[in-house]
Amino acid sequence: MGPSGASWRVSALELRDVRSWHRASLVLGPGVTVLTGHNGAGKTSLVEAVVLAAVGASPRSGQMGDLVRHGERALHVRATLAVPGRGETVRDLGYQPRVGRRLAEDGVPVASLAAWRRPGSVLVFVPEELRAVKGPPAARRRGLDRVLEAVVPGFTEAVATYGAALAQRNALLRRAKTGDGAAVADAAPWEAQMAAAGAAVTRGRRQGIAMMAAPFARWLADLGGASGGAVRLEASPSRLDGVGDDGWQDAFRAYLADRRGRDAAAGMTLAGPHRDDLWIGWDDFDARRLGSQGEQRTAALALLLAHRDLLRERAARPILLLDDVFSELDPGRRHALVEAVTDGGQTIITTADTGFEPQREVPGAVVVRVPDDVDAAA
Amino acid sequence: MAELSRLPGIGARSAQRLAFHLLRQPSERSLALAAALTGLAERIHPCPRCFSFAEDELCPICADQRRDPSLLCVVEEPSAILPIERTSEYRGYYHVLGGALSPIDGVDPDDLRIAELLARVEAEGVAEVVIATNPTMTGEATALYLADALRGKVRITRLASGLPVGADLEHADELTLGRALLGRRELA
Ligand SMILES: [Zn+2]
Repeated sequence: MGPSGASWRVSALELRDVRSWHRASLVLGPGVTVLTGHNGAGKTSLVEAVVLAAVGASPRSGQMGDLVRHGERALHVRATLAVPGRGETVRDLGYQPRVGRRLAEDGVPVASLAAWRRPGSVLVFVPEELRAVKGPPAARRRGLDRVLEAVVPGFTEAVATYGAALAQRNALLRRAKTGDGAAVADAAPWEAQMAAAGAAVTRGRRQGIAMMAAPFARWLADLGGASGGAVRLEASPSRLDGVGDDGWQDAFRAYLADRRGRDAAAGMTLAGPHRDDLWIGWDDFDARRLGSQGEQRTAALALLLAHRDLLRERAARPILLLDDVFSELDPGRRHALVEAVTDGGQTIITTADTGFEPQREVPGAVVVRVPDDVDAAA
Repeated sequence: MAELSRLPGIGARSAQRLAFHLLRQPSERSLALAAALTGLAERIHPCPRCFSFAEDELCPICADQRRDPSLLCVVEEPSAILPIERTSEYRGYYHVLGGALSPIDGVDPDDLRIAELLARVEAEGVAEVVIATNPTMTGEATALYLADALRGKVRITRLASGLPVGADLEHADELTLGRALLGRRELA
């Protein structure tokens, strides 16, 4: 578990009008829980609800409106979450389209999502999670950043500051291009702030990847993937790759000043930490572009386990949520994954696979049949 | 009611309450309030020197000859002056920019009273410009821009950190603001 053996845990879950559920409540044990049931039984919505209660967004859909049960006005999720070092809290999330989120902790309303969400509390694998390997650079960047938010102090703020300064520089360059009273030279104060915040972002990403590289290679091999697994930061601009943390801020500031003309012509800042990517593969094999579906799935799972290790060592052991992953794995890989996730922390697995026998394959797991074992009374 | 709800801190419900209150009280009192507001609008104008509010030709601070003319404190809005005055740690004059740089909102250097600031620094024998823009991203960018524009002409200082980031100066407490003034550091 974490530096102090701490771990996140969800002990109770209630949902109202989430996807196909009208009302449902579920008590969850501290170890491994397997949710079984046919497709469309609502297993995934239960996993989704845990993620909503932890970080306020769905792992599957960027549109919160998609989650509201058809014909209903709003959804509501309540979870009892054990916060490492803080004890149990009751967290509420309500969402109504065009009105937005209503958040509370222990009955006290919380105005901002940023203050309410708990970075690093959950790690999710949904079939869409392959985006973390084969998706656009933004998906890979986000996968790394959400772990670093919990591990690197000040990382969340640095990312937000960088993004705000970047938006100001872009606005200025666009207005300078159209001759709208702005001059490209006036970009300097925004570049200074981009460089300061960007240096913190880059330092955090470099640190995080350095700590993750070895666990990734080990998990990739353990899960039956290739040996020689590697993750590397493909930093933007690449010419700053060799610049150490101490010199990076000044180097990036000079780089931006030098690129004003070209960036103004493009109407945006073409390079910087907002364009960083993550190289994922083994030896010289780029799994992002060349990997088969199976290879990418194994890489995504190895990445998830490496993130789990990093959070466990540097922050606290997150709740692992594995949605519909076993059906795609052969028995050997299945066994290796079960071994990896039964580390004493809380893990919730969903499966529709009739060939999978959780009682036998996952020793000690609590098996919940969905919807039969879920209390769906009003 | 619509006019009332445009006032800062007055929402639709408060505006309604105020309107009912005004209707209930004797009409002489409402007329007296109206006259006071009209007088305010007619008498109050931007101070031609510092661009804060003035009733007479100059604002009371610019009119005060006992202040230290070698110190000039730059703020975004007139509302930041009172909190700085309350700390009793500052005895110089002020300059109100009228906002902060923000390309997203279309605010460029030309939209702020920066040319007027440079002219004052030349004309008034200022030795130190204390930049007291808000500790926000736009306030920081404005501070950096001013430091560039003033470099080599005058000593430039910035309030020490420790102020709550993202907030306006008018919401900072006296003690913190006083410490930030005393601990102001030179901007390179
Ligand atoms: Zn004045």
